[in-house]
Amino acid sequence: MIRKTGIQDFTKPGGQVAELEPADWMKLPAPYDQMDKPLKKLTEDQRKRMDATLDGVVAIGILPPSMPEEEKAFVDRFLAGVEKLFDAKDNWTFLQPLYHSLEYCVKCQICSDACPAYVASGRQDIYRPTMRPELLRRIISTYVKKEHPLLRKFKASNIELNAQALIRLAELAYRCTLCRRCAQVCLLGCDNALISREIRKIFSQQMGIAPKEVHEKGSVQQIKVGSSTGMTPPALADILEFTEEEIAEKTGKKIKIPVDKKGSDILLLHNAGEFLAWPENLEAFAILFDAAGIDWTLSSELVGYDAVNYGVWYDDVQFARVALRHAQAAKNLGVKRISLGECGHAHKAMIVVADRVLTGELNIPRESALPLMEKIVMSGRIKLDPGRNNFPVTLHDPCNMVRLMGIVEPQRRILRKIAPQFREMTPHGVENYCCGGGSGFAIIQSNNFPDWRSSVSGRMKLKQTLDAFADAPSADVKKYVCAPCSNCKGQYRELFNTYGVWEKSGIFYGGLVELIVNAMADLKQPFIQWEWH
Amino acid sequence: MPQIELAGKTYEVDEDGFLQELDKWSEEFAEAYAHVEEIDGKLTEEHWMVINYLRNYYQQFGIAPMIRKICKDLKIDMKKLYELFPTGPAKGACKLAGLSKPTGCV
Repeated sequence: MIRKTGIQDFTKPGGQVAELEPADWMKLPAPYDQMDKPLKKLTEDQRKRMDATLDGVVAIGILPPSMPEEEKAFVDRFLAGVEKLFDAKDNWTFLQPLYHSLEYCVKCQICSDACPAYVASGRQDIYRPTMRPELLRRIISTYVKKEHPLLRKFKASNIELNAQALIRLAELAYRCTLCRRCAQVCLLGCDNALISREIRKIFSQQMGIAPKEVHEKGSVQQIKVGSSTGMTPPALADILEFTEEEIAEKTGKKIKIPVDKKGSDILLLHNAGEFLAWPENLEAFAILFDAAGIDWTLSSELVGYDAVNYGVWYDDVQFARVALRHAQAAKNLGVKRISLGECGHAHKAMIVVADRVLTGELNIPRESALPLMEKIVMSGRIKLDPGRNNFPVTLHDPCNMVRLMGIVEPQRRILRKIAPQFREMTPHGVENYCCGGGSGFAIIQSNNFPDWRSSVSGRMKLKQTLDAFADAPSADVKKYVCAPCSNCKGQYRELFNTYGVWEKSGIFYGGLVELIVNAMADLKQPFIQWEWH
Repeated sequence: MPQIELAGKTYEVDEDGFLQELDKWSEEFAEAYAHVEEIDGKLTEEHWMVINYLRNYYQQFGIAPMIRKICKDLKIDMKKLYELFPTGPAKGACKLAGLSKPTGCV
């Protein structure tokens, strides 16, 4: 049973604001309706080290301050961060949409039902897209604008702030995947996901608080050793050698993957996950570009070979550091343009947001690889046999490419041409549902956060994926979810492993370029290898 | 920092049980830790083949190798890898081999 919760519950000491129980969650189709388990509970010992009083789940793991003076310093640091958010010198990048979203919201709640985490949780109040902004709004009214108590009473905008409420707010900022489906349905254009991200920014930039996978083992590690995966240039060289061998074995083609080729048309930026976890994506790009005669290269410069830029989820400073390194790698090679491979957040980071950071010679043209793939497929330069993809295929729309950037049709025109059993999910395109792993969630692997991701934030995606294949539910019919984004693939892998989707339903996931290469008529064997499910 | 006690020794680990001081690794550590990763009985020659491969690669390149590469070089398939390490290569096998937890979009 879901208990109604409100802002007042955030400041109460002890207990949990919300309890998550499987009986409340949105129903999945059979046989997945019998599989829900309660989320793993933190041990007593862990609860001493990490606050889990929001919903029993831990994304960050904050140790609450114990002494009154520490608590005061904690709250004061946060409030100083809020003030910076509204100072044009400190926040010239996002001040305007932040101000608009906070001031214009009329609390109509139309966005709540657009949020997959809110609906899938069984409509837990704390996951309403309006909850975080309302907390921030009250903090601003009471402590930053210091509005008169009577006015606050009239506006119901008062809050008695304590460290406990702020720690819960920090965790809550990591229960939103920044998919921006709420912003899309808002009649006034308020972007509550942007507010989630700005709250994360206060915690990171002002207080040094962020999930370690995103910051310490993420952007910090990327800047230090070259990749958030820890992949150094020698490791990259070893992986590329292996990849070339694989290509030769699978296709009989001897393809040299170009690295640091000066003056190329394109610097291709891949998410490092493709190198380590999904090398078939890397191989397929090399095979396709080789066949199409594209003049391209990878970079072996530190950071230049890992497209990720986690700062886009939580920290402007880390964001700018990585974006500059990416642009510098392209400039050093003298390429004409940068093309982003199948990674959604890197699209947002490099193509959209970096436009506010890169100037002069560093403002190199940047584009998505999806329209380029469409051009290759439609050019007729490569012989494609759709019969090779004659299995049910559906398409997942990565939020950053599709809803944010409007890259909707290129991938569909490709699939209509090469996948005879292509069918859409409902809803799809710019109205898609997030995979549930967005904004760094797919890489946050500690404590019970993966449980929450599979059970709550990814639930809607699992349901709509299963629904898209409802006409062929048997595991004997091999089916393919085309998810052209590393992060989304990571989330699909986890969802499918957790629920045994390959065993029960025969659904596999992979990228877009793999399907194109799988249709290439001159390959002696199928490119897609289902055994890697 | 959480700690675990195995075969009379105390080790610092992260919240998910990955060894924090990599030089503290020993064969006894792996052997004593196996049951936590759902492995019944003693580690077999095949387990050690995977563990040693992971350690060698990690010492050379500072990361865990690609699963594809493990399978190819050791001539085993994914199914076998999961039979040996039921909690998976990235969790169970890396943990027993004393590697840091894989990070980033992998």
